[in-house]
Amino acid sequence: MSLIELKDVSKLYGFGDATSVALDEVNLTIESGECVAVMGPSGSGKSTLMNMIGLLDHPTHGDYVLNGKRVSHISVTRRAKIRRDKIGFIFQSFNLLGRLTALENVALPLLYKGFPTSKRNHIARTMLERVGLHDRTYYYPRQLSGGQTQCVAIARALVNSPEIIIADEPTGNLDTESSRLVMELLGEIHKSGNTIIFVTHNPELTRYATRVVYMQDGAIKYDEQTKLGEVGTYARKVMYAVPDTTEEDDLAGVSVLMKVRKDDTVKPSTKRKRTPARRKARLTRSEDGRKAQS
Amino acid sequence: MSSLRKGYLHLAMQSIRTSRTRSFMTMLGIVISVASVIVVVAIGQGVRQQIGNQAARYGQDVLLVRPNQAGNELTGSGLPGGTGALLNASDLSVTRSTPGVSVAVPLSAVTGQVRGDYTIPNPLIIATTPQLTDILHQSIDYGGFFTASDTEQTAVLGADIANRLFSDNAPLGQKFTLRGQRFVVAGVFKQFTAAPFSLEANYNQAVFIPYDAAQNLLGTAPQINEMFVKIKPGNNPNEVARALQHAITDAHGGTNDIVVLPPGAKGSNSDQTLHLLTLMTVGVAIIALLLGGVGIMNMMLVSVAERIHEIGLRKAIGATDRQIMRQFVTEAFAISFVGSFIGLLVSFAAIGLLRLYTSLQPVIVWEVAALAPLIAIAAGVFFGAIPAMKAARMDPIEALRHE
Ligand SMILES: Nc1ncnc2c1ncn2[C@@H]1O[C@H](COP(=O)(O)OP(=O)(O)OP(=O)(O)O)[C@@H](O)[C@H]1O
Ligand SMILES: [Mg+2]
Repeated sequence: MSLIELKDVSKLYGFGDATSVALDEVNLTIESGECVAVMGPSGSGKSTLMNMIGLLDHPTHGDYVLNGKRVSHISVTRRAKIRRDKIGFIFQSFNLLGRLTALENVALPLLYKGFPTSKRNHIARTMLERVGLHDRTYYYPRQLSGGQTQCVAIARALVNSPEIIIADEPTGNLDTESSRLVMELLGEIHKSGNTIIFVTHNPELTRYATRVVYMQDGAIKYDEQTKLGEVGTYARKVMYAVPDTTEEDDLAGVSVLMKVRKDDTVKPSTKRKRTPARRKARLTRSEDGRKAQS
Repeated sequence: MSSLRKGYLHLAMQSIRTSRTRSFMTMLGIVISVASVIVVVAIGQGVRQQIGNQAARYGQDVLLVRPNQAGNELTGSGLPGGTGALLNASDLSVTRSTPGVSVAVPLSAVTGQVRGDYTIPNPLIIATTPQLTDILHQSIDYGGFFTASDTEQTAVLGADIANRLFSDNAPLGQKFTLRGQRFVVAGVFKQFTAAPFSLEANYNQAVFIPYDAAQNLLGTAPQINEMFVKIKPGNNPNEVARALQHAITDAHGGTNDIVVLPPGAKGSNSDQTLHLLTLMTVGVAIIALLLGGVGIMNMMLVSVAERIHEIGLRKAIGATDRQIMRQFVTEAFAISFVGSFIGLLVSFAAIGLLRLYTSLQPVIVWEVAALAPLIAIAAGVFFGAIPAMKAARMDPIEALRHE
């Protein structure tokens, strides 16, 4: 029995002509103990997929089987309880409640489990120690660096000892050094037996994954097993083909993966809405292309 | 489960602490509504009791004979009828000869300046007969009431005017002059209960002189403003009142310018007013308490709107809708609970101060003191539940995207 099974899962938004397809009949099976990196251009449905697996969202069509149980259409309360007990979330930003200390943030899922205060704090303290932040126990999020904030979020994701850790661009806001720190931590957690699914735009970070999934227009385009410590084949192609993102790209939220698409076989979807950021991304891309040719 | 609740209370307190000003303002609304309800009801109850005490000045066997004028000038300081008194000495004898009447005591207002240690330009001077003590259930602090056998011209003072007139604490045997005649103080009344808002004469400010002395002073029998009539035991007060009314109307040639009030009727007017006042108080109180609840709803709506992302995050890490709901309801509960409690304390303090520094004697109505905070809390939780529901039903993804 696989841990996660998505069967023809689609997610549609809107009606009629305005319908947009966030996930397009996705079939994905993830076994316990895998560490899956999800890549793909902006708007390709990575976050939607994460929310689907994390039971924050439910499919428009298709089935989701978790641990052998069909969970696509269960009640919101059961959904919340599965999130609480089986899944740990790490988001890109605003992971922590600003009004709570690091310890209180980490202990939060246990509150919803109904643990008494002393027990909550004890477990939370252990988790903070595990992520190496025991000396920041009583710091508020605003007093923590970006990397430390993500580590606290990881500690919180771990506090209920969930089987699955879902991280949607956990290093999206971090510099290289902090990204490495955070990924090392996730790698360790993976080694201790957790199933990890993370989204990233940085091919370098696929070294921490045992499997890389590439998404495009709501569908999975490539899905490959990789060795730990090695960059995925497709990702490697991407990595050396183009320079890193420029400052301007960062401002526009453009990722490395997007910039290489012109020499891909994959064409940008016409279905997708053109947001200012994407238009800018396209412009930047052609500019870079011209630069490369000259 | 209790640990859960402890956790929520902790969260609520945290939230209250972080938006201190807003929580404080909301709480203030509750404090004011609870305190004002308790204080206003206490004042009403105080006035009611005082008026009750005042009515108990006369026993259940005393009739009141008064001019039956529209707006008969009950001013709270003087006697009814003012200057145009309509009763006279012959009415007194008519009354005395009516069957069933045992004692008839006239009260006449006399004007003039009273000079003792200090001078009082125009006090309330009441000329009456020694039998007044049979009617008023009020003891004399010092000395005694004047008697028919007094050789000198004597007077009895109300407690307050005794203080104003003489520097001595117990001015027994002291003398004062009125219209050139000397009076000896024979006694001082104990403090009468004088109800605020009452239109009855305040006897604490009155100088009582014998009716005969007033006759000397004026040269004629003084006009009578009011009569107290005590009935013989075994007679029905209402029947005697009817007979007396008949006799006086006859004596006045059929004009109905005098009214005889049987014992029950005395306070009836003020009783109705009080009843109305109480009803209005209760109405205002309920509105005040509801407004406190609406204030909470308002604050909670802002609080929820401000924390959409937080709600998303809490849901993502496993909070159920009910748990989110409970968090916000706990917040509403905490605010209304603390506000109500402070309101209770404030009301006690206010009532204490009113008792000390004003003539009002508010009496705490314990049922109201217990109910008002409970209603405020219930209103707070009820109105708080609406924004809480809104928070609980939020879609986690939408909420997470917020900010
Ligand atoms: N609530 C929504 N209403 C309408 N369309 C939506 C909604 N949420 C997502 N979408 C659409 O679904 C598609 C997938 O979005 P998603 O957030 O999963 O992309 P992503 O791969 O995570 O992108 P990024 O790398 O920028 O985070 C997008 O085209 C988006 O416009
Ligand atoms: Mg995303």
